[in-house]
Amino acid sequence: MALIHVPRPENAWNPNRPVNALLKAQILHLHDAELKLPVRQQTDIYINAIKTEGEATDYVRQVTEAIHAAHQAAAAKRARRAVKRTSKGKAKKKSTPKARQET
Amino acid sequence: MPPGLDNLKHIVVLMMENRSFDHMLGSLTGVNPQIDGITNQLSNPDTTGAAVQPLPLAQFQGQLDPDPDHHFPAVDLQIFGGDTSPNRVANMQGFVKSYFNQQKDVGHSQKIMYYFAQNQLPVLTTLALEFAVFNRWFASIPGPTVCNRAFAHYGTSFGRVDMNLLYVNEPFKSIYDRLINATPKHTAKLYYYDTASSTMEITNLLQNQPELFGTYQQFLDDCKTGNLSDYSFVEPNYSDHDSDDGEEVASDQHPDHNVQAGELFIASIYHAIKQNANLWQSTALLIVYDEHGGIYDHVVPPACTPDQFQASPNDTGTGMPFAFDRLGVRVPAILISPWIPRGTIVSRVFDHASIPGTVTKFFLGDYSPRSPRETSADVFIEPNAPPVDPARNLLSLDIMRTDCPDFDV
Repeated sequence: MALIHVPRPENAWNPNRPVNALLKAQILHLHDAELKLPVRQQTDIYINAIKTEGEATDYVRQVTEAIHAAHQAAAAKRARRAVKRTSKGKAKKKSTPKARQET
Repeated sequence: MPPGLDNLKHIVVLMMENRSFDHMLGSLTGVNPQIDGITNQLSNPDTTGAAVQPLPLAQFQGQLDPDPDHHFPAVDLQIFGGDTSPNRVANMQGFVKSYFNQQKDVGHSQKIMYYFAQNQLPVLTTLALEFAVFNRWFASIPGPTVCNRAFAHYGTSFGRVDMNLLYVNEPFKSIYDRLINATPKHTAKLYYYDTASSTMEITNLLQNQPELFGTYQQFLDDCKTGNLSDYSFVEPNYSDHDSDDGEEVASDQHPDHNVQAGELFIASIYHAIKQNANLWQSTALLIVYDEHGGIYDHVVPPACTPDQFQASPNDTGTGMPFAFDRLGVRVPAILISPWIPRGTIVSRVFDHASIPGTVTKFFLGDYSPRSPRETSADVFIEPNAPPVDPARNLLSLDIMRTDCPDFDV
């Protein structure tokens, strides 16, 4: 079958376009998620002042990246705790026979 | 087992935004009358009472501005023509009236009837003619994006008919949860375009399970390296924005975003799968739109099994409750696989609850609990277990096709 040409859009890019209802809803949903993030990972963007797609995407990017960063930080912390527990557990195991001997 | 089903390892769903079947694919009735699109018998009255016929005058951008209303009350008007009596009958006569309400401009309101000529959409119309096009795929709810997309992920919207925050109520798990917690374990991924576009699945999935997510670039890489999950859901770019690669044009086709950018995006998803020969023969790609976006379609949405939820008169905004017992307006839907005969037309009824329904049945066989809407929704890929009904199996070819189209993406 012949290769089908796909026309490219011309002059379509406009980050100054006012945000549509979909983006507004997305911003509100992200704001809800942002409020659950640790304070240090929250943005200082006032969402009611977002008017254009460019402004919206700046906020969307920051919060989406912050959500991923917060989960990564939590996972790293969890891993550190697990390592600590394991090393403590090993230490305890070593001491148990001694304790038994004493009793 | 039919070889198409035997070979099938991956299901990919690409969900676009806010275009009706007649608007995007209605022109194809002229190519194949079995495709239920535009005919010269169709019309809608404008507010002067004049009949407005659908015309092939749709433009890629700049025509449907303001964004046509597609919240629940507006869609109710579009479907019932403004009749609010108890015994009303759906007639699809309120689209022009509904669009008039936004600008009070009779001429502008008629643009809601415009559709694309076949040659304007070379990607979507080629795929529809080359693979399986669905004559009766409807949005799950006569309402907007968020609640409709929820049906694609959970098989229900948990009683919501709007764009507000939607919290998952037990016991219905997402299709991703079902797959990744199954024994044996399956893999699932939701790809958003990039972090600046992000996803519509923020409330329940992104903020709780970010590991389920990847980007469009990762989708391309996963296709190339053969690392695609068993199930993938792809979201387009929802906004014009800057990136390290330059200017990113919204590809979701949501009015007033450029429709050609969406064509290019659809072609790129198809191309990414097709370029990997192993992936191409083992993947089914569904392209579907979340809802009609307020744009004209002529097919009356049918009644359906009620969900176990009810939206109050206040929630619907119509003064009437809604039991999730009627589907939304018809949307474009195309199933792609080299095992599908060219020119397949499917006239069974589907909605977005068919997505988790199909994926569950194919990969898991069964799962409980699922919503009443999902368990009653038809599947577009037959379960991977004999006996297979040949009349229902769309991946029915004995030998894989080698004549499938390519696009210059």
